[in-house]
Amino acid sequence: MGMADGSKDRIFAEGEKERTKREATDFHAMGLRSKDLSFLQSEKAVEDNVDDVMGDYSEEEDSESESESDQEDVKLAEPSKTAVYNREGLVEKLEDIGWPENVDWMHKLSLDIDQEKEVDVNDDLARELAFYTQALEGTRAAFDKFQSMGLPFLRPPDYYAEMVKTDAHMQKVKGKLLAQKRQIEESEERRKAREAKRIAKEVQAEKLKERAKQKKQEIEEVKKWRKQRQQSGFKDGKDSMPDLGFEDGKTFQRSSKKRPGVSPGDRSGGKAKQGGGKSNNKNKKNREFRNSKFGFGGRKGMKKQNTAETTNDVLAFNKSNAAGNKKRKR
Amino acid sequence: MGKKRKHSETQAVEPKKKDEGAPERPKRTLMGWKDKEEVQTQTDSNPESPQFFRNKEKVMVTCSRRINYRYRHLMLNLVSLLPHCKKDNKVESRSSKGATLNELIELRGCSSALFFECRKHQDLYMWMARCPNGPSVKFLVNAVHTMEELKLTGNHLKGSRPLLTFSSNFEKDAHWKLLKEMIIQIFGTPKEHRKSKPYHDHVFVFSIVDDHIWFRNYQISVPHNESDKMVRGGLDKMTLVEVGPRFCLNPIKIFAGSFGGPTLYENPFYVSPNQIRALEKRKKAGKYAKKVKAKTRRKMHEQSNPLEPDEFADMWRE
Repeated sequence: MGMADGSKDRIFAEGEKERTKREATDFHAMGLRSKDLSFLQSEKAVEDNVDDVMGDYSEEEDSESESESDQEDVKLAEPSKTAVYNREGLVEKLEDIGWPENVDWMHKLSLDIDQEKEVDVNDDLARELAFYTQALEGTRAAFDKFQSMGLPFLRPPDYYAEMVKTDAHMQKVKGKLLAQKRQIEESEERRKAREAKRIAKEVQAEKLKERAKQKKQEIEEVKKWRKQRQQSGFKDGKDSMPDLGFEDGKTFQRSSKKRPGVSPGDRSGGKAKQGGGKSNNKNKKNREFRNSKFGFGGRKGMKKQNTAETTNDVLAFNKSNAAGNKKRKR
Repeated sequence: MGKKRKHSETQAVEPKKKDEGAPERPKRTLMGWKDKEEVQTQTDSNPESPQFFRNKEKVMVTCSRRINYRYRHLMLNLVSLLPHCKKDNKVESRSSKGATLNELIELRGCSSALFFECRKHQDLYMWMARCPNGPSVKFLVNAVHTMEELKLTGNHLKGSRPLLTFSSNFEKDAHWKLLKEMIIQIFGTPKEHRKSKPYHDHVFVFSIVDDHIWFRNYQISVPHNESDKMVRGGLDKMTLVEVGPRFCLNPIKIFAGSFGGPTLYENPFYVSPNQIRALEKRKKAGKYAKKVKAKTRRKMHEQSNPLEPDEFADMWRE
């Protein structure tokens, strides 16, 4: 019915039919615009037989209404005047059906928990928290009672019996939980990888700058030395060789960093294999595609694609293969 | 049928009580502990009746035809939660619903019933009734989540007796008290029921928020690092995991009889879902008419308040 609801759903993705407060202005405007009053009055006439509900409703200034997504639950702001409340009858019936007072608590197992504060219905988290605390307190109180009576309370871990949910179902639950955990971890890893890549890029940039600077410096020094030599007329022997750092004994050492995928004896600088690798992948993908299309009986027939199992797998599809998947019937 | 013992003493004491004390031999009889006439208990059984009190509650769970898949699963979940229930076939709706259902309940030998009625494939109404002449309540059920949802991860023994927790506002008013009593009797598993399991590992929560009864079912889970004895310090580490179905009940009416009879209570705030939908549609119905009216109004307004001639209107004209 188009009522804004989904945003409140924090706990359950599946459309939980919660109530949200709707703006009162719509009804207000509808009720009070003078030009529409005739329209409304005809409404009223039609609805007269319904317990004055509509009458009450259209008079409302501040109709507090709560709506759900498809099953709306509008509450009347003023109680309908024809509501029956037979208190004596209720009490009488209560006595009728009630168990005698001195029945053992063990038969009833009911606990009354005090609610400290009012819980707003529309606040999902607070409401569920209130229920949770109520259950927790109840369990604690019951546990104390059972302790005092000396009766077993909790289930021992080695007690095997039929459970309300089958093992297969619990497997699915476990699978879903694991999948969620894996998703979180993967996103964490991806984020970290992104960060690391950024940092590595910065470091690389720094290094390149350093190298360029070094190179420039060395060239400058050589030029200076040459100028010096020129000026002093090439008459010096080997005495005033500039201190270019050749003698440190560090010149002809290759960089000890190994490049991955490059054998030590490789003289091409590690760039020999790159082009071949790229075309290999493409050929393989092409081959696979053709195999699935024409190989061993050709294109597969129209089989069910959306089953319970594949819906779980779809989310793990590699995004880059999306175009290929459309053509390939598995 | 069991024996009925008349004693003048007890007649004065509890004139209207049904028979809760079993006869002297505490063996199992077929008599439901509720019966039409007032059945008296033994003279000296008053202090002893707790010993002989047997909860022989049986609940019949049925639904109407044309029920939705979600509500059918909810019903099946409830059937698995209540070991003292009997599931029956679908009931043809409408005609003489009350009489048919009462007969069915008598036939199966049950003392209460949970009847799920689905209207228009959309709205679920739940009836809670005590069979012979007890009160019955009609609820509108909202916010249904069944046990099959993968986000409800808990699990517990099938048939173990639940702990029922009620929020304190069940004591505030007479109709809530009546509802609480009915809930205890229907949702509480009898103590030595044949299909009940020992240990208490789940807890039901019934709480009244905003004049609705909210139901939750939690599994009590305690980390088991000690032996199979009761955990001592583990009480603080006890956590609850949600298991079971979730739903929210909106009481509509309470009747004095089973599936009918004089109305004892009517919810003054209840608006039926049909009316809500009708309101919605009506709100949208006048959209076109309103638009046309707005246009004519605008035109009248423009005619009655003509604008001054614009100095710059001719500026760009060729």
